[in-house]
Amino acid sequence: MPPKKPKKSSAGSKGKDKKIQSPAAHDWELSNQDHPEDIFPMVLTSATQELFDCVADEDVTGESPYKLLEKDDIIQDIKTRAAVSDFSPVKQIVLDYPEDELLLVYDRDFTYGQSFYLVLTPDAKDRILNPPKPETPEVFEKEVVKTPEPKPWISFGSDKEIDEEAFKESREKLLYKFSRVRRKFGVPVCFSDRNTADYLECASYQDSRFSIKQMQRDCGMQAVPRLQSSSAQTQWKFQKNIFTQYTPRELSVEEKENILQLESLKTFCNSVTPRVLQALQQEGIMNVFFDDWKALGTATEDGDWAGKVSEGLMLYQAFTDQKYTKDKKICSVNWHPTIYGVIAVALTAKKEDQLNESAVRASFILFYTFSDPSNPQLLLECPDDIFAFEFCPSDPNIIVGGCINGQVVLWDISAHVTGLQGTQPGKKVSVNTDTCDFHQDLDDNKENKTPIVRYCAVSALDSSHKAPITDVQWLPATFEVTRTGLPVENMYNVSTQVVTCSPDCTIMFWDVRVSNLLSHSASERRQIMDQKTPYSVPDTFKHLDRTWKPLFRVSLPKIDTSGEYAPLKFNMEHYTCNANENGDSSKVIPDYSQLILPSAKTLKALEDVNTKLYIGTEDGEIIYIDWKLGKDDSGRLQSAKPLHCFSIHHWLVNTVQRSPFFKDIILTAGSWNFAIWKEGVMDGPILLSASSEQVCTVGCWSLSRPAVFFIGKEDGSIEVWNLLEKTNEPVQVHSHVTNAKITCIKPWAASSKQHFLAVTDDLGMVRVFEIPKTLYVPSRSESLNVKKYFELEEDRLKDLLRREELWEKQKETEGLKKRTEPDKPVTSLVENEEANVKEYNDYLMLEENVLKGMGLWRAPADTQDT
Amino acid sequence: MAEVEETLKRIQSQNGVQGIIIVNTEGIPIKTTLDNASTVQYAGLIHQLVMKARSTVRDIDPQNDLTFLRIRSKKNEIMIAPDKDYFLIVIQNPSD
Repeated sequence: MPPKKPKKSSAGSKGKDKKIQSPAAHDWELSNQDHPEDIFPMVLTSATQELFDCVADEDVTGESPYKLLEKDDIIQDIKTRAAVSDFSPVKQIVLDYPEDELLLVYDRDFTYGQSFYLVLTPDAKDRILNPPKPETPEVFEKEVVKTPEPKPWISFGSDKEIDEEAFKESREKLLYKFSRVRRKFGVPVCFSDRNTADYLECASYQDSRFSIKQMQRDCGMQAVPRLQSSSAQTQWKFQKNIFTQYTPRELSVEEKENILQLESLKTFCNSVTPRVLQALQQEGIMNVFFDDWKALGTATEDGDWAGKVSEGLMLYQAFTDQKYTKDKKICSVNWHPTIYGVIAVALTAKKEDQLNESAVRASFILFYTFSDPSNPQLLLECPDDIFAFEFCPSDPNIIVGGCINGQVVLWDISAHVTGLQGTQPGKKVSVNTDTCDFHQDLDDNKENKTPIVRYCAVSALDSSHKAPITDVQWLPATFEVTRTGLPVENMYNVSTQVVTCSPDCTIMFWDVRVSNLLSHSASERRQIMDQKTPYSVPDTFKHLDRTWKPLFRVSLPKIDTSGEYAPLKFNMEHYTCNANENGDSSKVIPDYSQLILPSAKTLKALEDVNTKLYIGTEDGEIIYIDWKLGKDDSGRLQSAKPLHCFSIHHWLVNTVQRSPFFKDIILTAGSWNFAIWKEGVMDGPILLSASSEQVCTVGCWSLSRPAVFFIGKEDGSIEVWNLLEKTNEPVQVHSHVTNAKITCIKPWAASSKQHFLAVTDDLGMVRVFEIPKTLYVPSRSESLNVKKYFELEEDRLKDLLRREELWEKQKETEGLKKRTEPDKPVTSLVENEEANVKEYNDYLMLEENVLKGMGLWRAPADTQDT
Repeated sequence: MAEVEETLKRIQSQNGVQGIIIVNTEGIPIKTTLDNASTVQYAGLIHQLVMKARSTVRDIDPQNDLTFLRIRSKKNEIMIAPDKDYFLIVIQNPSD
């Protein structure tokens, strides 16, 4: 048995210890052994295996190849079997083994040549039995990803390069400081020459030791497009302007003559003429380019073709209130200018009741809205019956009314406007009933608490009219009037002045502003201050209450005779001022209580305001008068005489209204006919209707069609006139709209699709009709046509008058002629007779000559006898 | 000569005719009833138009030829009757 050197390195399972073995293998000379030094491959007989309980593939297997053997047992075995024992080669090692147990490994795969091997050193044993734990793969553990932390820099050699490239100071910088002697500071320097040869020069020279040849140089490159600019210009050597002028070629007269003689021209003319004539005549026959279809469409262009278009006025709603309208008639009706569907009516007692003074009942102006036809929404309390009232055009909350006793009354309903607006159809705003509670001045025991507004101001009794006020108008916001009637510009652009007229033969101008003229006596002023208005009345016009005096009065003296006219209705031209652009003040409604009457001198006079009024009187006359006060002989301000007066109507004139489309067309209605006037035509109305059987009680223009107007009659019928269709009779007559006399008609354009007509009657009922589309949509160029019609009428009138004059003159001259020469006709007869005889003789001669010439003459012996 | 005059008279007698010009192929007016300046202007402009119109018609169909040209404007109508050697221009004011 070759003594094996005790270099048995243990072998880990499956070659794990390979790395440790390489240095170990070098140390020992057993390099030809193919097993590590600390193990000893050996064969164990089956008897030995049974003895040590390590039977192959039974006790020890491939999976558990380790078996620990007691050292003593091995020694025992060696002693027992001496040379036969399998352990005899390792006897010495076993004896030297420090520990008690030896590891026997079953080498199933014969990696070391034998089926078993014995591990010889305790280290190897430990290593085999307790193999170092394998590194657990980090996949099975979920480690938190750590942010990379700065690691110390590991140098790989680049720092050397950087050091080589870097520039370091090899030594400290040398500093030399030169300074002059202190005492020479500031002293001027004096230079002198020195010889250059005395100096030792230190010239520079090229030293080859220090020439550095640069082998490599870094330089930057950039690709840049090559730009090159160049120019060229032709030389304008000889500067000269060039122009061309040409004349058309013309043939001389001879050439033209020649051509005209040519045959070809003749044939040309012959061939061309038929074509040309045909074309020319075609033109005359009809215009091929005229679009008939388009011209056909007029008012029915956007009408609904469903056939639902109704022709007449349709009743929309009727308003009446049992409590207030009993036995009263309506004198005036107005639509609220801004709120949809609100109508205000003024009720007056009927004539019979007026005499009965014992029953004094409060008079009201009622406000109805569409949503509630049987209950008024607002009541305006009046001191007496109101004949006429108007909303202020600048502020619809201010209402002025004229009373039956001649006073002018003002209301301010701004506190109740929300209540009125809340009753719009479709809006369910709960009316604020708090405000209603304040107005329980009068003894109302009504359940529905209609608010009552008391009047704010009423004019002074002694300076008002002496007869009922029949017409009230606001002056438009574009101008105002001074105390002498001079129109001046209106700084505030709001309507602040009111004009009233009454049959006491005066027209008064009032101003609602605070007057700063101290026309009130001290006691009056004190009275104003002491007076407390009742709690509920807004104090917009407190300054005016009971002391309101008119600005000035216009009286209407008659033209031919003495006496005065008694006006019932009047109308003035609305002045529209275009040059009033100082800020958009249309939205701002100034507080009326703060407006102050300006002094007349500060305002600019407006020259082009038409200051003439059309007035209808009690006796049926239409007067045209200027309201400016002029100076008469004694220097006092006096109203001018009217310019014209026409007695067209035979009874009360109840309407004088300007057309909303033409500034100079006025409709007047009264007694049994109506008339249309043109301002400026002083000879008479341009249209006068035939007298009808019924009294025309009211007339009004349509708001959207220039040619349409409505006339109300005494029997309760309404006539619709259309000047473009028929001028001698109405287009439509709605008879018996109501049983009583129609007192007022007012149209209103609620929206572009809805036009209403409010009709009021003697019984206190207001009926609102809806105007059908045919009556409110104007026809094509209707305005133009109507204008033409009026001009035509004007011409006709003038012509008529001219002819009348002519006839008058003719009649006069003829009459004169008859009187001065009665025997002239006799002599003329005789002359005629002679002339006739002479002619006959001439004819006979002619006949004779002709027959002689023809050879047919036979001397008629018998004719000579006659 | 008289025939030409007679033709012109016939055309002139139609209602609305404002003027007649006879122009040769080169565009030089031969006979006219208008003043010289208008004549020359009409002749020059219409000549070019007629050439263009004729060439258009013939380009589309070489067998075709222009027989009549009418220009209707807001104020009047110009009628041109071209022929081989001359063409006739009539200016008419339509009646409506």
